[in-house]
Amino acid sequence: MQNSIRGRLIATVVLSQTLLAAGLLFAGVYYTHRRLLMTLDAGMQARAMSVAALVRYTEDASGNVYFDNTLMPQSLDPSHPDLFAVWTQRSGLLTRSGNWPSGLEIPPTGARYWDFAWHDIPYRALRATQLPVLDREEGKSFQPQTLTIVYASPMVRMEEQVREAGIFIALASFGLLVATVLLALWGIGRGLRPLQQLAGQAALVSADNWQLRVPKHAEQMEELRPLTQSMTTMLARLERSFIQQREFMGNAAHELKTPVAVLKSTLQSLLQRPRTSEEYQAGLEHSLEDLERLEQLLQWMLRLARAEQWAHGALRRDLQVIDLNTTCEEAVERIRNLAEVRHTQIHLSTNGPVPLRADPEDLQLVWTNLLENAIRYSPEDAAVEVAVGRTGDGRARVVVEDHGPGIAAADLPHVFERFYRGDPSRTRATGGFGLGLAIAKALVEAYGGSITADRTPGQGTQMTVELPARDR
Amino acid sequence: MRVLIVEDEPRLAENIARSLRESAGYAVDIAADGQEGLFLAESNAYDVVLLDLMLPHMDGMQMLTRLRQSGQHTPVLVLTARDDKESVVALLNAGADDYLTKPFDLGELLARTKVLIRRGKGQPSPVLTIGDLELNTVNRTVQRAGRPISLTAMEYRVLEYLAHRPRAVVSKTELLEHLYDYNWEKFSNVIEVYISGLRRKLDDGSARQLIHTVRGQGYILQE
Repeated sequence: MQNSIRGRLIATVVLSQTLLAAGLLFAGVYYTHRRLLMTLDAGMQARAMSVAALVRYTEDASGNVYFDNTLMPQSLDPSHPDLFAVWTQRSGLLTRSGNWPSGLEIPPTGARYWDFAWHDIPYRALRATQLPVLDREEGKSFQPQTLTIVYASPMVRMEEQVREAGIFIALASFGLLVATVLLALWGIGRGLRPLQQLAGQAALVSADNWQLRVPKHAEQMEELRPLTQSMTTMLARLERSFIQQREFMGNAAHELKTPVAVLKSTLQSLLQRPRTSEEYQAGLEHSLEDLERLEQLLQWMLRLARAEQWAHGALRRDLQVIDLNTTCEEAVERIRNLAEVRHTQIHLSTNGPVPLRADPEDLQLVWTNLLENAIRYSPEDAAVEVAVGRTGDGRARVVVEDHGPGIAAADLPHVFERFYRGDPSRTRATGGFGLGLAIAKALVEAYGGSITADRTPGQGTQMTVELPARDR
Repeated sequence: MRVLIVEDEPRLAENIARSLRESAGYAVDIAADGQEGLFLAESNAYDVVLLDLMLPHMDGMQMLTRLRQSGQHTPVLVLTARDDKESVVALLNAGADDYLTKPFDLGELLARTKVLIRRGKGQPSPVLTIGDLELNTVNRTVQRAGRPISLTAMEYRVLEYLAHRPRAVVSKTELLEHLYDYNWEKFSNVIEVYISGLRRKLDDGSARQLIHTVRGQGYILQE
């Protein structure tokens, strides 16, 4: 119930309807009670007046009064007759009804109406004071008397009527509640149908079919539009990264299989027949070399995976503001061994500090990859130039330029693809795996920068990296 | 038998070559790229070509297509790292006879190579029979009328080649071409020695001679 939209909506409907019904019941009962009480009070007042009318003066001139019982009207509720008592100002209690309760307490003067119970029957009483004796004949010389009348009527009938009204309102509310719940159930079911259709279509999406066919009703539904839109864009994103991942897996498998094939064949041919210890030694040394190459490949692949995760992920580490020149200097320092082996001169030219927000490790990795690439594809004794500066619009720029044969025009668009190598035969000669530039690109793009490769045939290759920089 | 390996990973090529030489007694040539491979395949008589796909200068697929276009029907066994359906279909359609995915088992490579050689010469069974002579190419044993015959490695290689082409005249040059790798000329005078050795061992105690000399043309293995 708690975890269902339908359940929650129905619960809300039931709750609000119940509150409404309770309020209605209370208001209805209160109003009925008040109206009936007013009617009862008015009736009692009229009856008190008619009791007063039965008080008459005696024929003599004493000015005494008597109560003429013969004309007393019948009570409205014969099973619970009304009570009354009449006092005169002069001589006290004049009369009272036969059923007047002996110990009835009359509240001190002031209260005009009050309720009491007698023999478990609720009564409402009225005290009328200063009533004149209506029987007043002309020419009488005595002082006219005033009366105090207490008149009480049972409230049994009134309470019954209030109860009936209450029961009626409650029953009507319950009927309405049931009808509302049924209507709400039907309406919610209808309202949720586009969602079910959407779910049905979403279930058809798989690694082979990335197309989400949004049902017409769901498309038109205003509340579902954000959902369908984000599903569609999410699927497009997922498809892209899935395809990329699959390509990478294919390439990686291919790249891994060759060194494994070499290793396996070395060991199998070693085991084919008994060998001399020199042959075993040579075989094991070869195996170790192949294994090391495999290990290197794995390291590069992991580095690429990390760089791409970093590039795709939104997680931003706490980045310090660093100087671009320092990262380049350190990268040049790191690559010095390789440069010395190949007799390559690295010239670093800087032009004032270029502060930017980055992890220095990431940038050093980019520069070492670019430098390594430049050195590998340069002839011996050549020079590699690194120029650090800013673009016209204030972005940081690093250009790594070599004087090798230059990348073939056909390879230029592909150099940043993973595992791409212009000439596969060069791989083993130069020792690359075709991942360095892909890693550089992933990292540069993670920082919102761009990387491009240009060539001058016969003169070399320029790799240009531009990164968002901070103002001086 | 003579095999060409076209593979740019030198250590892998060397390992395959060693295995084929040691376990099957085949002569093996190695080409490190597609161009060299195509040149060797077109200028020499190979009994099977083992072809890697990722090759410098001319990739394996191109080389295979060119080889088939030039009318060569030497069986080709492709060594590939890709085993998805599309690449396999493309390979077979380009004229490959079989394929093995890397990393492969050297034993399986050897067995498949033998199958391709046999099929290329129209021999369905791994046990070749000529009259009462039986040559088992799997465990490299020879029997005549149920009697095991012990041969030297070179004698076996000569007999194996002849047995793959029974009742056909095989010239000395053809034998040399298929039994030695590219520097076979220097062995040209030793074929007679192996033939006479074989004759002595095979025909010992039998009424009928199996290896005949066709004067000026070569040798023939028949009843």
